[in-house]
Amino acid sequence: MKKRGRGIACGWYGIARTAAMDRAAVWVEIDDGGTLKVATGVTEIGEGVLTGLCQIAASETGVRPEDVVLADNDTARVPEAAHAGATRMTYMIGNAVALACREAFGKFTAAMGEYWGVSPTAIHARAGNVWVEGSVVKRMTMSHAVHVLKKERGIVIVGSGLFTSAHTSLAPDTGEATPWQSYVFGTQIAEVEVDTDTGEVQVLGVWAAHDVGRVINPQQVEGQIEGGVVMGVGHALMEAYSQTNGHTTTPSLAKYILPTALDVPHVTSILIDEPDPKTPLGVKGIGEPCLTPTAPAIVNAIYDAVGVRMTRLPATPERVLEALRLKRDVRPKEHQKVA
Amino acid sequence: MATEEFIGARTRRLDAPAKVTGAIKYAADMWMANMLHMQVLRSPHPYARIESLDVSEARALPGVECILTCDDVPGIDNFGVFIEDQPVLARGVVRYVGEGIAAVVAETADIAREAVKKIRVVYGMLEGVFDPADAMQEGAPQLHDFAPGNLCKHTKIRKGDVEAGFRDADLIVEEVYETSAVEHAYLEPEAGLAYLEPDGCVTVHSPSQNITHHRHLLAKILARPINKVRMIMSTVGGGFGGKEDMLYQGMLALGAIKTRRPVRYVFTREESIAASAKRHPFRIEYKMGLKRSGRIVATKMVMVADGGAYAMSTPGVMNKSAILGPGPYAIPNVWVDAIGVYTNNTPSGAFRAFGAFQSEFATESHLDLCAERLGMDPIQLRRVNLMQDGAVTHTRQQLDRVAATACLDAAVAAAAWDPGVPHRQRHGAPDRSDLAGPGTREPCTVGARFDNDVQARLKTIVIVADNEETI
Repeated sequence: MKKRGRGIACGWYGIARTAAMDRAAVWVEIDDGGTLKVATGVTEIGEGVLTGLCQIAASETGVRPEDVVLADNDTARVPEAAHAGATRMTYMIGNAVALACREAFGKFTAAMGEYWGVSPTAIHARAGNVWVEGSVVKRMTMSHAVHVLKKERGIVIVGSGLFTSAHTSLAPDTGEATPWQSYVFGTQIAEVEVDTDTGEVQVLGVWAAHDVGRVINPQQVEGQIEGGVVMGVGHALMEAYSQTNGHTTTPSLAKYILPTALDVPHVTSILIDEPDPKTPLGVKGIGEPCLTPTAPAIVNAIYDAVGVRMTRLPATPERVLEALRLKRDVRPKEHQKVA
Repeated sequence: MATEEFIGARTRRLDAPAKVTGAIKYAADMWMANMLHMQVLRSPHPYARIESLDVSEARALPGVECILTCDDVPGIDNFGVFIEDQPVLARGVVRYVGEGIAAVVAETADIAREAVKKIRVVYGMLEGVFDPADAMQEGAPQLHDFAPGNLCKHTKIRKGDVEAGFRDADLIVEEVYETSAVEHAYLEPEAGLAYLEPDGCVTVHSPSQNITHHRHLLAKILARPINKVRMIMSTVGGGFGGKEDMLYQGMLALGAIKTRRPVRYVFTREESIAASAKRHPFRIEYKMGLKRSGRIVATKMVMVADGGAYAMSTPGVMNKSAILGPGPYAIPNVWVDAIGVYTNNTPSGAFRAFGAFQSEFATESHLDLCAERLGMDPIQLRRVNLMQDGAVTHTRQQLDRVAATACLDAAVAAAAWDPGVPHRQRHGAPDRSDLAGPGTREPCTVGARFDNDVQARLKTIVIVADNEETI
């Protein structure tokens, strides 16, 4: 028989490194052709953060995302930006890019203000064009502006940015600490169908709401959430690296079971787009927070559907069947009542 | 000022065309003139002394350029994310199945593989320990001199007085939760390419998630100034934490220095699974005290995690699991122990959500159990306890803005949640009214079939065919 149920789980996560003061540095140059060079010591691991960094850099300097050249990931050529992990990329590198761009753009508006004989605050730039507010003649492309500054004035516009996240280590006896400056909160609801004859569980829908900070690229955030949910489905229902006396019994992907396209639920992502007041850009992160609520939401949904509590992950068909058998065989115990 | 119109836009991924067309090169795609190939002999035993290691026959094989062992390491031979406890290649003892013992550098990967088979190792078997509870017992085999009792990390959170909290509670709920070890299963197995620059700098390209730290470790291992070591993070085909450990970059750098030629090493999937870190399996003893209103008055979590043979990220994982474990709830009395233990299993390490996956799984499962005991809607139970603006965390950090309830409200609204106690049918309540609605997909069913439209169209085609007498 097929039974459906729903479960909920909340979650929270600290953003950036736990082990030490987290830091990221960036150099930028407003370059020939109205392009922008951004140099930083880390690259993405596939989540799309480089595109996000280009969007941030473009919005801060008046070029377009496709005009940005990223020089990344090389310990001998670019400044330190620490590691790719800990939900820190958009938060740490994004803020450092914004700060570096702001420094460079400050120099750019000062130089262009002098060139046009106006206050730097009157200089505006967007998508490859720069102009003086309210003027029909004092405007040019970013490309031409860079040419003018370099060739006529001898100015190369560069900037640097450093972002540091507050952190204290845990007191050994009490754990008292400020491990992270910013936290991401979230809630997920899962709907499952349990086959009581086979023990199979299908996750049919997940609703995921996360407080991700200011959203740079909603598509990338949704991608992270969908990926996290699918990973959570795997952890909840099928993934187990098993060992017997130190020898693995799941040595290859033939034995180690992963979710496939058929296991992916419909995912509804809700982004709570609220800037983080603690950082220049207001961004936070989503890489890891989107994974924590999925498995308990699924396990709680299994309970809601069939009344068996899977306290051991993964909730494989064998384990679900065994739990259903125990529930049938053992006379239902009187519920523990509130004292 | 510049404008912000690019912020919040669904800008197409700038790297998508290069990834879709295959123009981007991953480490395994890299090629250099005069390049050599590396293969590694890995331990078939979980715990053994290396009595003797004879590489003479392997070295004599034509095409073999060099064979690296721990004796080739010029500097301080250890690496690790938090505790530097692992040698580049096993030093006298192997502590897990898959630990590297010797690395062959040869003209082709096939020759290197042949040579690996010709390395003779005499092992002296040691009694291993495979369960963290056993590893903590007196008299258990001791894996590392510096870690008595095989204790790798014990993180404690103590806030308020949990025993007083339990006395004050109307309901106490206890349960034990367990999670499995999990493989990252990134699409791209580990790979790397190392070579010497003209100025003598050794450069390693690899999908390392932490080139800054790896540069420090490698300089120490190679006994070189830090500016003579260069790490480049190649395009990464997924990491999820599994590429934070410097498992092979040391061997590659040593191979390049010794042969003065570029050396490439590409893991097989099986090698990646055997050698790389896994998610820590946890056993979590949970005790929670609540008031009738649902208010949590005390939480006690005692968590023991299998860290495997080397520390890798165990200390950090214990910290994060403990700090975040009791969940985003305002709880006056909290006691958390997170204990990471050395065993002779595959090392556990960094994995997306870094211990919080395991500890928050326990908390969120436990709250559901408590909701049922209290006869409450699980959302209502959370609403009563969620941290609000200005909350103080379990580590006594004062927060400012807390959007936890905003997330709860948004998810509940989107899913159109029908409130009620979990598994309400047991309590004689009518079934949920919110099932199989928008936001869900159809379940998969066994077997292949055509949908109705296709079936109808196929029928038409067959009829036409019959009429034309072509079948």
